[in-house]
Amino acid sequence: MAAVRRRERTVIPAGPPPPPPDAYELAEARGYGLTAGDLQHWYPLSAIEVHWARKHGLSPDAARRWAGEGVGVRDAVRAVRLRVMPAQVRPWAAAGFLPGDAVEAAEAGMTLAEATAWRQAGFILPDAALLVRDGWTLAEATIARFAGVNRYA
Amino acid sequence: MLSSQRNKLLCETGPGTPMGELLRRYWQPIAGVSEFERQDTKAVRIMGEDLVLYRDREGNYGLVDRHCPHRRADLVYGFTEDRGLRCNYHGWLWDHSGACLHQPFEETRHPEGTFKDKVRIKAYPVEAKAGLLWAYLGPQPAPLLPDWDRFYSRGYKQIAISEIPCNWFQCQENSIDPVHFEWLHSNWSMVLRGQDGPRSPTHTRLGFDEFDYGFVYRRVRADTTEDDELWTTGRVCLWPNCLYVGHFEWRVPIDDTSTLSVGWFIDELPGDASFEQQRIPCWHAPVRDEKTGRWIDTHVMNQDYIAWVGQGAIADRTLEHLGESDRGVIMLRKRMFDEMEAVAAGRDPLGTIRDPAVNDRVYLPIVGGLKRPAPSGGPQPFVFLAGQPDEVRSELEQAWQQCAAASAP
Repeated sequence: MAAVRRRERTVIPAGPPPPPPDAYELAEARGYGLTAGDLQHWYPLSAIEVHWARKHGLSPDAARRWAGEGVGVRDAVRAVRLRVMPAQVRPWAAAGFLPGDAVEAAEAGMTLAEATAWRQAGFILPDAALLVRDGWTLAEATIARFAGVNRYA
Repeated sequence: MLSSQRNKLLCETGPGTPMGELLRRYWQPIAGVSEFERQDTKAVRIMGEDLVLYRDREGNYGLVDRHCPHRRADLVYGFTEDRGLRCNYHGWLWDHSGACLHQPFEETRHPEGTFKDKVRIKAYPVEAKAGLLWAYLGPQPAPLLPDWDRFYSRGYKQIAISEIPCNWFQCQENSIDPVHFEWLHSNWSMVLRGQDGPRSPTHTRLGFDEFDYGFVYRRVRADTTEDDELWTTGRVCLWPNCLYVGHFEWRVPIDDTSTLSVGWFIDELPGDASFEQQRIPCWHAPVRDEKTGRWIDTHVMNQDYIAWVGQGAIADRTLEHLGESDRGVIMLRKRMFDEMEAVAAGRDPLGTIRDPAVNDRVYLPIVGGLKRPAPSGGPQPFVFLAGQPDEVRSELEQAWQQCAAASAP
């Protein structure tokens, strides 16, 4: 069956031109208001990412830099808004977080140490970030989270 | 995990609540057009508001307060006229804009009176599209009713509606929860068939993207790679209360503890001869097995319903323990909070369309593309919901034969 092909994220097209989109990929691109040329120009980003990047003013080079760090366009757009730099996600990735978690944490004002503490208490980063945004401390959240379980301990 | 206050924000949809205000910025499907072939009025309850949906003899659809403003009689028992709905108690006549057109005894006693110009009934706009009737309960000017491209695909279409006894938001969270498919649908179905294995390939990676009309979720399983369309294209959590995976599943709040599940389905047909469907049937899908009293578990959406109602009438999110499979759910909640704030600040929320040039066969990502081949071997069994009426199945088979014959060499 025809399918939208994977666009290899680790390959930045410095040399050979990217493969032209086939009819199927082009149909998807058109759905997002893009042309074959757009897909080529933004290679290796996917059509939905190109659409989102253009909508939010993220350049192809910036999007590729973020992609090289493992951060998709959705998170890259937020990162730029928060003035997070691509290199800043590396310590997070090295600590076992998804690269995009660095952006989520920045939005909630969390440091890597704080995020690590939340993780050790059993909270995945986006859950922790939303709780922090809502004004919870780690101590409060830990007590609340395990209150139901501890009732039966 | 959420505080109970934040949970209420997500779940409560009555007038004046933040989520109620958000959802009222969107057109909501509330009934099938074909339901009005045999009735003129239908009682509907949407986001806690009791209303009557009707079609008058001129073909206007109206959605008005369930109770006549005169003495509060039930307008479901009113009768339609060329224009409007007349209360069966004292004959006051209301049109779809909410205007009172006639007050028989008042006008007899005071022909010069203007009483009818001083009373109105709550009324909301209704539009018909794709076999559905859509209502807009928000402030004017209303956005455009989305013109999704899938509505124009060639195929046999049908609508199925169920009432689910739980809050709408736990239904919608399912729309961005890829991993549940592995367990709720694949592995549990295997168990229900009395088999021990093999189990479904496990999910190994999830991805999420955002676009103008919601989120796309992507998955890699142990038996697929990033070359699979479930990763390259993904599936759509359609904002704010729908799942789109080639068919649509809207989750419309009836009130805070019940949800109208509105499914819009299409079966691809063989060949490429033109096919015009005269009417899109709308049927009501049962959720409970009458013999056993248990929830029906044989079909995909019925299995979803079991998960949702199992979470309680309103899921208590103060007690949950979220994990890696819930990243999409958290993203959805966060976006909902943001969009509630946007509405409170007077802005248009995500996904509202006001430009007619944009609202022309609006694209939604779809695995397999819009032009998909009909399955070989004839029409497939309807796997989504139990209770498909025989006449709907028969119509599909007739459509199939008609198209197959038209494209035969």
